[in-house]
Amino acid sequence: MISMRNVSKIYVPNKPPALDECTVEIAQGEFVFLVGHSGSGKSTFIRLLLRELLPTKGQIVVAGQDLTKMKNWKVPFLRRNIGCVFQDFKLLPNKTTYENIAFALEVIGRSKHVIRTQVPEVLRLVGLEEKMESYPDELSGGEQQRVSIARAFVNRPPLLLADEPTGNLDPATSLGIMSLLNRINKTGTTVLVATHDREMVDSMRKRVIALEGGKVIRDQDRGVYGYGD
Amino acid sequence: MAINFGYFVKESVVSFRRNWVMSLGAIITIYLSLLLVGVSLGSGMLLGQVIESFEDKVSVRLFLKDGAPAEQVDAMQAELLANEMVDTVVYTTKEQALEDFKKRLMQDSPEVIEQLASNPLPASLDIDLKDPRNVSTVVDQIKASENFIAVADRPDDPSKSLEYGQEVVEKLFTVTAIIRLVSIVFVAMLAVISLIFINNAIRIAIYARRKEIAIMRLVGASNWFIRTPFLLEGVLESLVGALLAIGTLSILYLYVLPKLSELMAFLPLTMSSGDAIQVSLVLMFAGIFMGAGGAMFAMRRYLRV
Repeated sequence: MISMRNVSKIYVPNKPPALDECTVEIAQGEFVFLVGHSGSGKSTFIRLLLRELLPTKGQIVVAGQDLTKMKNWKVPFLRRNIGCVFQDFKLLPNKTTYENIAFALEVIGRSKHVIRTQVPEVLRLVGLEEKMESYPDELSGGEQQRVSIARAFVNRPPLLLADEPTGNLDPATSLGIMSLLNRINKTGTTVLVATHDREMVDSMRKRVIALEGGKVIRDQDRGVYGYGD
Repeated sequence: MAINFGYFVKESVVSFRRNWVMSLGAIITIYLSLLLVGVSLGSGMLLGQVIESFEDKVSVRLFLKDGAPAEQVDAMQAELLANEMVDTVVYTTKEQALEDFKKRLMQDSPEVIEQLASNPLPASLDIDLKDPRNVSTVVDQIKASENFIAVADRPDDPSKSLEYGQEVVEKLFTVTAIIRLVSIVFVAMLAVISLIFINNAIRIAIYARRKEIAIMRLVGASNWFIRTPFLLEGVLESLVGALLAIGTLSILYLYVLPKLSELMAFLPLTMSSGDAIQVSLVLMFAGIFMGAGGAMFAMRRYLRV
C-alpha cells in the first residue's frame, strides 16, 4: 500500500533534513503507529503521502502510483483513495454533521442518491446517527473527531491517515477513537496513525515505526512507544 | 455535469451575498468602465456620421476673374465635366454670389451691402465631386490646366482662386483621432482598475472559503471543481455591471439622443438600432472577458491547487 525508498525531504538547504533516507514498506490492511517527538518528521511523512509535498530525494509509491512522477492534475484522484484525519478535526462550523460528511462526497461529484445512502451508513459506523443534525460546536471533542473520521471514511478509501487524532482528547475518549480506527482497519483499510500518545501505542500492540531527527530509528511489529523517554 | 451546475451557481451566489461590499465595488467599477466604453463607442459612431456629412459637403469652388471671356469659362466647365471624378459643375454669377452672401451673412443688415459702390464678389464655378477623397487630385489637375490660369480670379497666384474643404475635414479627423486616443487611454485605465477590483473581490471570496477549499483539496475535489465557482462569480459580477451599463446606454439612446439631435438639427445625430445592439454585444463580451480575466488572475495568485 505504501512504499518509501530512501526518501529525504529538505525544506531549507544546508539545514538538517526533515526526513533523512527513510525506507518504509506498509502492506495492505496493516495498522501502523508512527511515533516520535514534535519535529521528528511525522507530519512531513503524512504530507508526503498526500502529495502535499514532493520529496527532495527518493521514491514514494502509494496505492500503486509513483507520487514523484505523478502529474498535478491527477493528485485529486490520489486523494480520493486516502482518508485523512487531523488533530483539529477540520469540520465546517456552518454545516451539520450530515452536511459535513455529505460535502466530502458532493465535491467529488457523487450523486445525491449515493450521498443519501452512504452518509447515514457511515454515521452508524461511528455511532453518531443521533447527532446527524447537530452542528460541530454542539458536539464534544470526541464526537467531532468521530465526524471527521466518518468524513474520511465515507468514500471507503483503501488508506486512512491520521495525524495526532487524539491530540486534543482525554484518555477515555482517545480510547474510543482508537477502537473506532481499529474497527475501520478490520474492514480491510490500511490505517497509519501518527501520534505521541504513549499509553495508547503501548496498549494497542500494533506495528510501530519510530522517527527521530527525520530518520527511522525503529520499526517493530506489536511494538511499544519507546524505551527511554 | 448537469448535477453540478446548480451547485456552482448556488456557491457563487452565496459567496456573492457574503462579500457583497467587495462584489458591489467590482460591479460598480465594471459598470463605469463599460459605460465609458459604450459612450466612446457610440459617440465615435456619431462622429463618424458627422464627418461623413461634412465630406459630402466638400466641394471645390473656382473663382473667376471679372470679365473672364465666356468661351474660356465654357471651356473650363467642359474640361471639368469631362473629368470622371467630377459629379456636377454649377456656374454662379457675380450677382448670384452677392445674393447668396446677403442671404447667408447679412440678413439683418442689408444696408451694409447697399453701401458698396460695386460688387466685390467674384463669379465662380462650384464643383461637386463623386468621391470627396479625390479632392486633392482634382485640385492638382485644375491647377495644371491652361484654361484655369486664363480664367482664374487671381492670375498672379492662381492657387488662391481655388477654395475647398480639405482642411476642415482634416481638422475634424485630427480632433476625432485625439478624442479616440483619450477615450482609449481612459478605457484602458478603467479596465485595469476593474480587473484589480474583480481580483480583490475574488481574493476575498477565496479567503472567506479557505476552510472549505482546504477540505475540498483534502478529499480530492478536482481543481476545476474548486475553481469554477470563483470564475463564475467573477463573470456574474461583471455581467451585472455590463447589463447596468447597457441599461444606462439604452436610456441615453432612447431618450437623450433624440433630444440632442433635435437641438442640433444641423448635425446628423442618429444611430441605427443595429449599431446600438452591436455596442451592447461588445459591452457584454468585454464584461465577461474582464470578469473571467480578473477571477483567473486572482486564482492564480491565491488559489494554488
